[in-house]
Amino acid sequence: MTDVVRVLLAKPTHDGHDRGVRYIARKFRDAGFEVIFTTFLLADEVAAMAIEEDVNVIGISSSSHGHMAIFEDLFVSLKKHGLEDILVIGGGVISGKDQAILKEWGVARVFGPGSASEESVEFIRQQLSP
Amino acid sequence: MFDNKTLAEAEQLEQQWKAKYGKIVDRFGNQAPSRAWGPKTMSGLPLKNAYFPSDVQDIDYGKIGAPGEYPYTRGNLAAQYQLMHWANQPVIGYGLPEDTRARMDALSGQGMTGYFGQSFYNLLYDLVSHEGLDPDDPAARGRIGQCGMAVYSVADMARLFDGMDLAKMNVVHITDYQVIPALAQYIAYGQRRGVAAKDLRGNTMNYYHQSAFCGMSAFPPEQGHKLAVALIGYCAEHMPSWNTTNFVGYDLEESGGNAVQEAGMLLAYGIELVRSCVEAGVDPTAALSRFGFQIAQGNDFFEEIVKIRALRRIWATTMKERFGVSDPRAMHVRIHTHTSGAMLTAEQPLVNLVRTTLHAFGAALSGVQAMEVAAYDEALAIPTEESATLTLRIQQVIQEETNITAVSDPLAGSYFVENLTEQMAAAALELVDQIEDMGGYIAAQRQGWIRSEIEENAERWRDDVSAGRHGVVGVNCYKTDAAEEPELFTVDEDVERTAIERVKALRAARDGARYDAAMAAFSEAVADFAAAGMADINPDRLMATAIEAAQADATTGEMMAVMKDKLGWDAPYNYGP
Repeated sequence: MTDVVRVLLAKPTHDGHDRGVRYIARKFRDAGFEVIFTTFLLADEVAAMAIEEDVNVIGISSSSHGHMAIFEDLFVSLKKHGLEDILVIGGGVISGKDQAILKEWGVARVFGPGSASEESVEFIRQQLSP
Repeated sequence: MFDNKTLAEAEQLEQQWKAKYGKIVDRFGNQAPSRAWGPKTMSGLPLKNAYFPSDVQDIDYGKIGAPGEYPYTRGNLAAQYQLMHWANQPVIGYGLPEDTRARMDALSGQGMTGYFGQSFYNLLYDLVSHEGLDPDDPAARGRIGQCGMAVYSVADMARLFDGMDLAKMNVVHITDYQVIPALAQYIAYGQRRGVAAKDLRGNTMNYYHQSAFCGMSAFPPEQGHKLAVALIGYCAEHMPSWNTTNFVGYDLEESGGNAVQEAGMLLAYGIELVRSCVEAGVDPTAALSRFGFQIAQGNDFFEEIVKIRALRRIWATTMKERFGVSDPRAMHVRIHTHTSGAMLTAEQPLVNLVRTTLHAFGAALSGVQAMEVAAYDEALAIPTEESATLTLRIQQVIQEETNITAVSDPLAGSYFVENLTEQMAAAALELVDQIEDMGGYIAAQRQGWIRSEIEENAERWRDDVSAGRHGVVGVNCYKTDAAEEPELFTVDEDVERTAIERVKALRAARDGARYDAAMAAFSEAVADFAAAGMADINPDRLMATAIEAAQADATTGEMMAVMKDKLGWDAPYNYGP
């Protein structure tokens, strides 16, 4: 397993529903993860920060729609920078229909409303173990 | 409140009850839920398992009073719902302006009315507008017409409102921090239609104070606060029928705050705002009479009711004592309830109808002026037309079928409700003192204190749910296997393309010289505004140049770009210490 789990949690700046992602940030820190939180306008900014902070996980939180465009752009950006090995997860209000498409694009898992934080911590640990 | 003989008898009965209760708990307590001992409200206020006359004995009757009498614990007006129901105010807004207009007309046809049958529209702008962008900005992709309507210019206002009588309707413009460009565009649209600003009716949000606890990018706290005062000052002079400011307790509770925090922090901001209005030369009565309150109604049924009763009282007494106002309108807390969205679940979504009905019922018992009931599919997507209609039906069933509207403040005098109202008021006032000791709301915001208090409470709540201390049906109890997702609302993909084409066409067609001159004047006015102290702001110049820019077909994105540049713009947590 990777020594340190470094997670970039990012939320589109348009979206004020940050209660969930802030909760998750606290819980990830409690679990010993290093957490960087940022808001962003463009997926390129997320990729740039992922490089700068050398993270192994990116979590995108979206509760006000627009998530499909974000994830689409993010994967283009990650590919451009050769960051395909970063684990990408999602959270927030994302329909089952959209989740199915996101899975095909490479989003490892979407944690919707009501998900337990332990579940996402466990999931990340599992995914990052060799 | 009671004579000594009655109190003595009541005391004896209370002791008898206590003994019996103790026996029952001793025998069955190990099988009972934890509520048997030491129960608390969701804010942590202590509860007893039954209430008696001794619990209200020390409450000064003057604090309770009568409906329509100071300190308004029991409601703003002598008549509550007997002559007029609360106003049904669903939030509307999605897609192109024409799409939103169709939903407005549909809901009007279903009996959505405001006060005295006037038409009333709560219109929500989209995410692109909230961020102060135009639809052709790269960051707008996927968000145009999402969670609100794609309205960015006077031309879009025309698509939304043409054919309607502006002077006879109320329009609530639900923006975030693009409030000045949006109001300027509405005023400019009115002018084009021959309706003067003084005849427009409605509300603006003007709630920069929510950047203390909400996530979107924002102006720096002090600049946002000056903008709020400027809009109040402008409307005091020029828009007598306009309600300027929405105290957004709803977002505070949705962000994770509890009922005590909602009441206390709103009052702390109210003190700060009126104090600043006075400093800027705005009459406190004029300012206070035009405030509205958007209050959450969440799960703790009685606590949420007493929150409203206590807030009415402590707001009135505080404003009277601190600012010497005496006009009842300057002491009233005019409440638009928004039933909690955060308490709704994605699991078993139809169960949300039960939750929202309880929320709406509590709000009705506490005597609020207007209501928006959240839709059952809100934790999944933008409400469908069917679910939006059901939110209206919930209110209509309570109004028409329960007979609760016959009596004003029906819970008054309950030992429990009066005792808890008193506790709520005391706890909220203590929080106000704490914030004042820190230098006021804006100072507390700058220190990151408000954000962290609310964040901690959100964590506490979720931990309680995870540990099963708060039951949430479908989430930590009575779970079922995931059912088929209900039919969800989606925004037509053509919306994006059309909105982008429109803004490009607008830029190509407008009078370039007039636009350039107007934007230069607006830019100078904003720069001077940014540098001015509270006592020296010039609201008339700020608004007049904004209105002229809107007349010259400036878009929301263009005007906001100027404001962001001159005033500053960042994620709110970056404004911390």
